[in-house]
Amino acid sequence: MKQETAAKVAVESRSTPWFNLPLGLRRSARENGLEILALLGGAAIWEVLGWGLGLQWLPPFSKVMEALLQFVRSGTILANLGSSLQGLVFGFGLSLVFGLILGALMGRYRAVEKALDVYVHALFVCPSIVFAPIFFAIFGLSDAARIAIIVVYSTFVIVINTTTAIRTVDPSLVEMARSFGCREHQIFARILLPASLPLVFAGIRLGMGRAVKGMINGEMLIAFVGLGALAQRYGAQFDATKVFAIAMVVLIIGLFTNWLIQILDQRFTSWVN
Amino acid sequence: MIKVRGLSKEFGTLHNGSSGVLALSNIDFEVRDNEFLTVIGPSGCGKTTLLRIIAGLIPYDQGEVAIDGRPVTGPGPERAVVFQNFALMPWADILTNVTFGLEIRGTPKAECRATAKELIKLVGLEGFEQRLPKELSGGMQQRVGLARALAVNPQILLMDEPFGSLDEQTRRLLQEELLNLWERERKTVVFITHSMDEAVMLGDRVMLMTPRPGKVKEMIDIPLNRPRSREVEKSGAFLEVKEYLWQNLRAMQVSES
Amino acid sequence: MKSSVGRDWALRLLVFSAAVGLWELFVRYSQNFLLPSFAEISSALFRLFLDGRFWKALYISNQALLLGYAASVVVGIPLGLLAGRFRWMDRLLNPYVGVLLAMPVAPLIPIVIIALGLGLSSRVFIVVLFAFIFITVNTRAGVRNVEASLIEMARSFGASESQIWRRIVIPGALPAIFAGMRIGLGRSITGMVMVELLLVASGLGRLLLEFSGRMQSDLVFATVLAVIIEAIALLTAMQAIERRIAGWAPDSSIG
Repeated sequence: MKQETAAKVAVESRSTPWFNLPLGLRRSARENGLEILALLGGAAIWEVLGWGLGLQWLPPFSKVMEALLQFVRSGTILANLGSSLQGLVFGFGLSLVFGLILGALMGRYRAVEKALDVYVHALFVCPSIVFAPIFFAIFGLSDAARIAIIVVYSTFVIVINTTTAIRTVDPSLVEMARSFGCREHQIFARILLPASLPLVFAGIRLGMGRAVKGMINGEMLIAFVGLGALAQRYGAQFDATKVFAIAMVVLIIGLFTNWLIQILDQRFTSWVN
Repeated sequence: MIKVRGLSKEFGTLHNGSSGVLALSNIDFEVRDNEFLTVIGPSGCGKTTLLRIIAGLIPYDQGEVAIDGRPVTGPGPERAVVFQNFALMPWADILTNVTFGLEIRGTPKAECRATAKELIKLVGLEGFEQRLPKELSGGMQQRVGLARALAVNPQILLMDEPFGSLDEQTRRLLQEELLNLWERERKTVVFITHSMDEAVMLGDRVMLMTPRPGKVKEMIDIPLNRPRSREVEKSGAFLEVKEYLWQNLRAMQVSES
Repeated sequence: MKSSVGRDWALRLLVFSAAVGLWELFVRYSQNFLLPSFAEISSALFRLFLDGRFWKALYISNQALLLGYAASVVVGIPLGLLAGRFRWMDRLLNPYVGVLLAMPVAPLIPIVIIALGLGLSSRVFIVVLFAFIFITVNTRAGVRNVEASLIEMARSFGASESQIWRRIVIPGALPAIFAGMRIGLGRSITGMVMVELLLVASGLGRLLLEFSGRMQSDLVFATVLAVIIEAIALLTAMQAIERRIAGWAPDSSIG
């Protein structure tokens, strides 16, 4: 995905309903209401089909919810959830550091961009999970392997968005600052940084989503801890109800983290047109 | 005063010397102190490039550009620019935008804010200090740009088609306001425009430029008294100069096609 | 600017060499005697390409990819067209699309296995799960982004619904549709890899398991590299097709 693409994706993701996950913050109560209705409708259909068809792999929606509540009440999944989230936080944190610094360097210095863009682009488009066997070979069955997978999943979208963010700062703003005698570091701090914030946040949001996927995908493969391990275990037991419940948990994590970033985003970039 | 002698500027010259586009060729003119000079010419005559060179934003290849005898090597405190697309920082409120130039120069915070508030009042935006640029109309945004430029108390105001992206009513209003402001202090102004009305209405002299490469065709005196009001647009002198400009610009346009 | 293109590639080569150098250092100083050096990986890659088993495995794995991708396109595009054109359908599908976009497919894989077993059908279905929603989303965006004024213009000349579809909507939405197909291809490849690594029924996943079981880490790395090369090759080809068909439009893809 080239720079202009990334920029447009980022901008789109701020405003398109299809990217603002269900119950987005900026939409009217009525719109939210309609969507909740649609979701409830789907749940109802699921319920009916679940009871009616009696398939092993399609438990009724209520049973899945029951299993979910059971998890919460008995704290069964707490340990696994904890280790999943730990890995997520650590991995995403690393991605942020790598991604923002690399993206800033590439955005600021043409030479760095030209040297690395081919690799960043290649790593961005290829399916990140393919690195799992490599990390397994290097780190063995360990947390490091899981975290490395998360890093590979989310770093590059952050890099690309950050690079684009800095490159697409309105040049007349930079010129204006220079006309008042700003030095390079002043231009960076006073103009480039604030101006690039919206796109950088978009990248962070996308990166967060990718990190959650990396977390669960990695855990399904390097399955010794975390929610992924549980999903594998319940799958082996043919317990579709519990597997669905785990999937719900992961979905909730994804929605929640996205919502968090959205809050931060709006706090810092409410000035965008 | 601004002195320009033998100025040339080329764009796109490669390192091996093969040439690019000659934007300006052998530009020679002077701007006197406290003069309001308007610059007009068709697209491609290099007027924006010229302004940016005087502002110290881009380098030039040949000739000399001097302000009060000192050659221009970069931006300086005696000059301030007003931009066509306003160039306001969208994340900062109006007050912060106006204090920008002062802050960069290290003026203490309290003084910055005081000066800014004064100027915001002067351009008629009192009460809007906490608003964001996106909440303001185009005309109001340009007033902020003007306030920002005036805040640093420059000797020279460089204005790059400042009203070009505004609708006609707003433009005419701002022209009058600009003239009023200018009458108070009579800074030296170099004002780039596309509009003949504007060039004659505002300027003491008009500099007519031709394109490809950009050259000064003529410096035309505007024999109109100051202070000027809208009435002046109906006067014979105004119409004469405007007609003269039109004949020249038309000829340039025709010779293009 | 010919000289700068040469310089760019020189820089990239420099980065590549630096990366290889770092890898060699890492291998040398690591306790892990299983890590292959750059030379070992390269020779393993070469041997892999000469090995019939590899091509057979590739063929088997790509069956799921091809069928899954085709199914995703067949399902995804019409869905996207309908959602783009009819507001009520869009509104109805919207929350589900949001969920499907955010939902990691991996935890659902055990359920697919319970339902469909370990054969080709479950592998294909998983690939579809990974890919189709992105094709839908981009198609829908493409239809929505066709300028309303163009449709109005066509109406003013008396065009019928089907004419509007054929002459305005589809051509106008084509760039986005192709972008969606490109992204869908990427997602399909991801799905295929997930399938291979999780189901390990046959194909590349089985090969990887064999190699790692026999501690042949150089071949493990080589196989992974081969998959990466295939992914990049397919996606680059897709991008070229996209550019050919829809080069006139600015890129605004989702995903």
